[in-house]
Amino acid sequence: MYGWIWRHLPGPLPVRLLAALVLVTGVVALLMFVVFPWVEPKLPFNNVTTTQ
Amino acid sequence: MSHDPPPPRGGPSGPPPRPRPGPRRPTPPLAPEEITEITEPVRDVPPRRPRAADHGPAHAVDEAGPRSRGAAGYDPVPAVDEVGRRLRGAVGHDPAVDEAVHRPRGAAGYDPVGEVGPRSRGAADGFDRRPVAEPRGVVAGRAADATQYTNAFSGSLPPPPGPPPGPSPRPRPRPVDPPTEVIEPVHEEYEDEYDDYYDDEDDYEEDDTPPPPPKDSAARKTVRTAGELLITAGLVILLFVVYEVYVTDLISAGKQDDATSALDNRWNANTVEGADPQRQAKYDLIAGQAFAKMYIPVFGPDYKFSVVEGTTDKDLEIGPGHYVDTALPGDPGNFAVAGHRVGKGAPFNDLDLLESCDAIVVETQTHWFVYRMLPKASEVAGWADGAKAKDPRCAKVAPLGGSYEKTVGQEIVLPTQGEVINAVPHFTGTAPEAQQVALMTLTTCHPRFSDKQRLIVHAVLDQGYPKAPGFLPEQLKEQ
Repeated sequence: MYGWIWRHLPGPLPVRLLAALVLVTGVVALLMFVVFPWVEPKLPFNNVTTTQ
Repeated sequence: MSHDPPPPRGGPSGPPPRPRPGPRRPTPPLAPEEITEITEPVRDVPPRRPRAADHGPAHAVDEAGPRSRGAAGYDPVPAVDEVGRRLRGAVGHDPAVDEAVHRPRGAAGYDPVGEVGPRSRGAADGFDRRPVAEPRGVVAGRAADATQYTNAFSGSLPPPPGPPPGPSPRPRPRPVDPPTEVIEPVHEEYEDEYDDYYDDEDDYEEDDTPPPPPKDSAARKTVRTAGELLITAGLVILLFVVYEVYVTDLISAGKQDDATSALDNRWNANTVEGADPQRQAKYDLIAGQAFAKMYIPVFGPDYKFSVVEGTTDKDLEIGPGHYVDTALPGDPGNFAVAGHRVGKGAPFNDLDLLESCDAIVVETQTHWFVYRMLPKASEVAGWADGAKAKDPRCAKVAPLGGSYEKTVGQEIVLPTQGEVINAVPHFTGTAPEAQQVALMTLTTCHPRFSDKQRLIVHAVLDQGYPKAPGFLPEQLKEQ
């Protein structure tokens, strides 16, 4: 998977590294700001209230 | 050049047959022509040698002696080579050589360095060993090589005593050839193989990048991809932990700041001139907006959170949330607040460390309210005799009787036990508001990182101060 991605990145090594970095950053940002906030309330460890 | 059996002379150990002075050949096997050759060099040589070699080297010396000595006068090596060659070539391998080789060194037959040395060594050393294959005549062209070769040997030898190499140009070439022939091919072959081997590898590596190696089978790809996915999943989970514990703190801190500044703005804009009792109990309770601030001095002077209205996830991201429909600060009843224990600012992270009688200060637009934690279940029995009971600050802290019997400072309950935030906790009946105590209840999850239970802290109202410019409750300084 990662090998496939790497092979499909264009350009010389520095460009590839930059592109890879951008990809990783993008994925992390997606996780941090979209996926995790969405999934977090569904997980069973941060409910602090009592229900009547 | 055939191996002729050593002539009559002696065996290796045998004593030298006859006196050496006679430069001339005792060896019968020599062919006539060879003899001639030998004799030639001999001529040049001064008859110095007989003496030096006296007993030992005998034959070798004798035979080669005259000549080699003459030639070798200068330096062992070349001379030796020449001699050897000549001996070999001319004499054809003869006794002299063999004997020289076999003869025990001690016998003086072999004295590489010494006078005798050059010659004898030459005879003993290289020559007999070397293939004699080449016809003697070939020589001339290679003289130079021969010199180099011998010089290499001579390097380790003591400086030659004598004059530069002797005359005889002819004999030299021979011995040289064989070694070169033998060594070179081997070396070259080796190098070639070596180079080829590495060239192959280099080519392979170079090719590696452009054309992916064809060796990947479908199964291999599948397994590898699965492994990569698993590793990725592990990384994502780790990232989630980081998000939950740290990143949400950052996000919540921003929201908390916004809520706090919004609250400050409202308070400042809405300042009540003087004390207006009518407005005292009024709050702007808008879901998600802060309406009070809470301090827990024992957690440090910087422990300060704005309490928002509502307990939804969105509300609690901002800060501790007030359970809708529970009492308001200072009022009789139960002022209940929920807060996160991990992440999102974690306002109640250390709630389990709160001890009885610790102060919880709530600031509203118009008042300061000081709550103090009730005695824990374990302290209820001996509270009256305990040290805290005598502390003037804890004067109003004591186990509450009556309908508050089950209300203690700290408890751990199931998430479904909503009665802990009732106006009178754990009390199912109806209690007239006049009989209600002003309580504050904090709830958070328990244990940490889990929501299986809830940690509950109950506190009772101790003091209430109207706000005044420059006034801060002294309880804020309790540590």
